[in-house]
Amino acid sequence: MSETRLYPGASKDERTSFPPYSAFDVPADLRELHGRYDVETTARRVRNFRYAHEWLMMIQGGWLATIPEVPVKTGLGKIIWEDAQSADQFGRRLPELRCGRRSMNASEVSNQGFADFIQAVAEPERPDLSIEKLTGAFDVLKPHLLRVYDRMQRETDQIADAPTIEILDDVMRRLRRHLAWGEDVLERLCDTDGKRERRRRRALALREKLESCGGVTGEISDESLRIH
Amino acid sequence: MKRFIEPDELARDSRFIRQSNALTTVLATLPDDVDAVVDVFEKFTPMIRDSVRGTPSQALYDEFGPAFSLALLNEPIRAGARGLKTRLKMRVHAIFVGELQALEGAGRSLWDFPDTPWDFKMNMARQCWDETRHVQIYEKLMDHVGASAGDYPESTFLFECACSDDPAMRVAGVNRGLEGLACDVFRDLIRYAEEIGDETMKQAVDYVLADELTHVRFGSEWVKAFTRDDPEHFKRTQDFRRQVDKQFSFGGSRSDRPDAPIRIAWEDRLEAGFSEEELRELAEISGDGPSPETLIEAARVLRERHLGEREGPKTRAAAAAKAMA
Ligand SMILES: [Fe+2]
Ligand SMILES: [Fe+2]
Repeated sequence: MSETRLYPGASKDERTSFPPYSAFDVPADLRELHGRYDVETTARRVRNFRYAHEWLMMIQGGWLATIPEVPVKTGLGKIIWEDAQSADQFGRRLPELRCGRRSMNASEVSNQGFADFIQAVAEPERPDLSIEKLTGAFDVLKPHLLRVYDRMQRETDQIADAPTIEILDDVMRRLRRHLAWGEDVLERLCDTDGKRERRRRRALALREKLESCGGVTGEISDESLRIH
Repeated sequence: MKRFIEPDELARDSRFIRQSNALTTVLATLPDDVDAVVDVFEKFTPMIRDSVRGTPSQALYDEFGPAFSLALLNEPIRAGARGLKTRLKMRVHAIFVGELQALEGAGRSLWDFPDTPWDFKMNMARQCWDETRHVQIYEKLMDHVGASAGDYPESTFLFECACSDDPAMRVAGVNRGLEGLACDVFRDLIRYAEEIGDETMKQAVDYVLADELTHVRFGSEWVKAFTRDDPEHFKRTQDFRRQVDKQFSFGGSRSDRPDAPIRIAWEDRLEAGFSEEELRELAEISGDGPSPETLIEAARVLRERHLGEREGPKTRAAAAAKAMA
């Protein structure tokens, strides 16, 4: 029986015979250790994202009772749970980003302008304002979040910040479903020129507000993200 | 958007008919006395007549008079029972609007209490999705039994009673009072589905019941959490839940009496976190309203009067003679 060495020993000659990288044709890892955001920045952004989803969940929860269309109520019911899961996932990332064990519930708004924007999205209340309600969430805020997440996913450190990338993956998958649902519902609700104009005007007004505060992270210009 | 809404602000499309909560509120406190029940219904006759005009319920009103719901709801849903088809439709429709209100209640708990713990918000968000499925399931079950949304008037009594402005009382009212009632009603419906071999209904309602146990559990846990270190607050919350339980017993229709149309789902409730003591108390609270015989007798008297008035003096005399017989 030959004496194949399975484990390296103490001296120079006592090496194993396993070739490095073995004989398998594993593709080389072309990723680079480079990302736009350091740990502190990523943590702050994750708190900003959590703030947006926590408020989306609460606002849509409030709207359930004041929206007369039953399929819109039931559609929103599931979306509320999905936004809650997104906020929860962002929260669970925070202790991993050196924010402390008690940081899981730490939503943080980037600036007063974004807080005001969120309150503007929440404003419509009467049952005849389903178009204004849904436009704020599904034409303005959610598409904005999707763009910011998409960029962050591409530009954060692909190796070191992979857990954030995984979370963004889940959140974006949900957001895309929400946008498709919102588009279907708004198309159906806006069945006259007058209603389509209401949708357009509401979206325009909110986009202006969103742009002037710099969006969810307050850094829209930095991110060269045009909202319009 | 303001915090806290009134029950009449619950938005509905044009199919739905709203009925004032006053009648249900009065019924919840009636004594076991035929005349008292008849008096109340006579007082509410104009309101009931207006709310059913031009709807599928009008035929029931025409046939049974203002107490048509009493006549139809106060017997158990069992194979071969009198008026079963209509009663089943009314029951499933009542559950459907109850699920809508439970959905709205859970959603409002997210908006009305922004400073509650994150885990509470997660529970309420999950409940929104669950109640959403319940609304969808009962939409299909309405189809299954031949009813449609808006066939019968909706009272917002459930939302009104359960939705307190205090988070501990809100979960006590919605998650223990309303969801507890749901357990009783669903166990009863499962029993009926088993009896007639309706696998579709049995399986769907069984899943809904499983969800409702979870919602009661949310309630049991959060009442404790919200009132921890404040025994006085805990006591007020328990008093509120007792009051809701009394109102949701509809004068004994939901109780532990052997003749009750809807019995207390004892086993399910234990599993959901109610204590034996709470259940004994519930049996006591719910059992002292009018008996089903009283309600059925009141419904009969009201029907006779209604038919008599509609068909004029001659038939009125005949009806009176028939009633005497
Ligand atoms: Fe439910
Ligand atoms: Fe429930």
